[in-house]
Amino acid sequence: EEDSDEESGEESEGKDDEAAEKNMSNIYISSISFGFFFSGIYIFTLSTGALCWKEGLQQKASEAFLRQQQAAPNLRKMVYGSDDSEEEEEEELGGLFRVSRPQKSKKTQANALDCSHFKADLSHNWDLEEMLNSIRDCFVTGKWEEGQDAA
Amino acid sequence: VHTQNHGLEYDGCNFFRQRLVLSTLSGKRVRIKNIRSKEDDPGLRDFEASFIRLLDKVTNGSRIEINQTGTVLFYQPGLLYGGAVEHDCNPQRSIGYYLEALLMLAPFMKTALKATLRGVTNDPIDPTVDLLKTTALPLMKKFGIDGAGFDLKVVKRGMAPGGGGEVLVTCPVRRTIKPVQLRDPGKIKRIRGVAYSVRVSPQMANRIVDSARSVLNQFLPDIYIYTDHMKGANSGKSPGFGLTLVAETLNGCFLSAEMSSTPQGQGDPVLPEDLGRNCAKLLLEEIYRGGCVDSSNQSLALLLMTLGQQDVSKVLLGPLSPYTIEFLRHIRDFFQIMFKIEVQKPLEDERKGGDKVLMTCVGVGYSNINKTLK
Repeated sequence: EEDSDEESGEESEGKDDEAAEKNMSNIYISSISFGFFFSGIYIFTLSTGALCWKEGLQQKASEAFLRQQQAAPNLRKMVYGSDDSEEEEEEELGGLFRVSRPQKSKKTQANALDCSHFKADLSHNWDLEEMLNSIRDCFVTGKWEEGQDAA
Repeated sequence: VHTQNHGLEYDGCNFFRQRLVLSTLSGKRVRIKNIRSKEDDPGLRDFEASFIRLLDKVTNGSRIEINQTGTVLFYQPGLLYGGAVEHDCNPQRSIGYYLEALLMLAPFMKTALKATLRGVTNDPIDPTVDLLKTTALPLMKKFGIDGAGFDLKVVKRGMAPGGGGEVLVTCPVRRTIKPVQLRDPGKIKRIRGVAYSVRVSPQMANRIVDSARSVLNQFLPDIYIYTDHMKGANSGKSPGFGLTLVAETLNGCFLSAEMSSTPQGQGDPVLPEDLGRNCAKLLLEEIYRGGCVDSSNQSLALLLMTLGQQDVSKVLLGPLSPYTIEFLRHIRDFFQIMFKIEVQKPLEDERKGGDKVLMTCVGVGYSNINKTLK
């Protein structure tokens, strides 16, 4: 009997999960962070077995989402994002003349200098002690993590 | 990007080398149109033509078609042949411009490459030959490209704009590329550098060294900057000086920075003291960015990861440069490989610079079909 109870419990949970999934897909824009958070829920249910994980679900979800957003500006989207979407549209006047528009930033970049050099961040002033301190531990003379040795 | 019967199609002259290199490695044809088509002087420049000629020298059976105005280029890659090659690099760009691309192709030749490149060895725009020697070569070694025949030698130094320098590059051939796991650069144990000067007082190099040391000694005692003053026939056609600095970590990663004096007759002259100090600060900036590969070699590392055996490669980089971001897009176009990109924020009490990016991919299992079996 216990077994069947558990099974039915799991089933209902499964349905709840589906419902939650729908809810949360609204909250979550990024599917990556969604999967990340969801695996956390499963661990939680296993350990307690009760349905208390449902409490404040939306709030937890939004918190996790914000955390993810802060941690990772979506670089993948920046790199691989859909850049084909911007179709160039040229208006025609009387079927003969074309309206010439100033080149978009992307267009001008297309004929820029082909150079691998990465320009330095001008906001960094390397005369300030504060900046120097921000890289101190990159050197063997800096602080070492526990478990590591200068040997 | 449009895929048509004649391969991949791109607009504009930017990222010219990336496109041709990836085309050569993947065997996919490429067509680049609208090359400076709206400028007063449209079409390909001399240095790009020079680059195409170099590409033609190291390959066999490449087909290159350029239209009359030079605004459209069609390239059908041949087989990478390699062997002994001599090339006069157009002095509009330094040898580094050509060499960056050549190093990407070198391990995949049929016979080991032995290239003599003549032209400008040092200018402020492109990575200098000294920088590539001290950073790109050790990086390639991590991917299993090594051996006695792997070397880059500066025979003659030639500053911009006149040039007159000469480098000798030798690179062995590899059938496959080893996947790597470079996740922790380790701490910086020493800083090395080269302060070079030609056709000016040899004292210039010493002045550079002193000012660079004054900045870097705040962090580390183990600093040694060599002075390199080439004379006579080895000193090229133009005067100038400059500095290349490299920070080496415990795990054998190299972060670099460099600066060259402004070419004769172009802009304000620089004082060697300022150059030394500013270059040292650029190195600090590079250390702040961090990662296991320095910013100028990001695309080389990503290419070798892509071409590795079918296994997972991981490399920690600093922030991705705009050039690298475009390179990633090109890798997707030519090899259908997309990287997993994870940002790693530094911990709160950690003093190790800014955000890092962990790049992960599974290699395409590229094997060098050109290489002869022995």
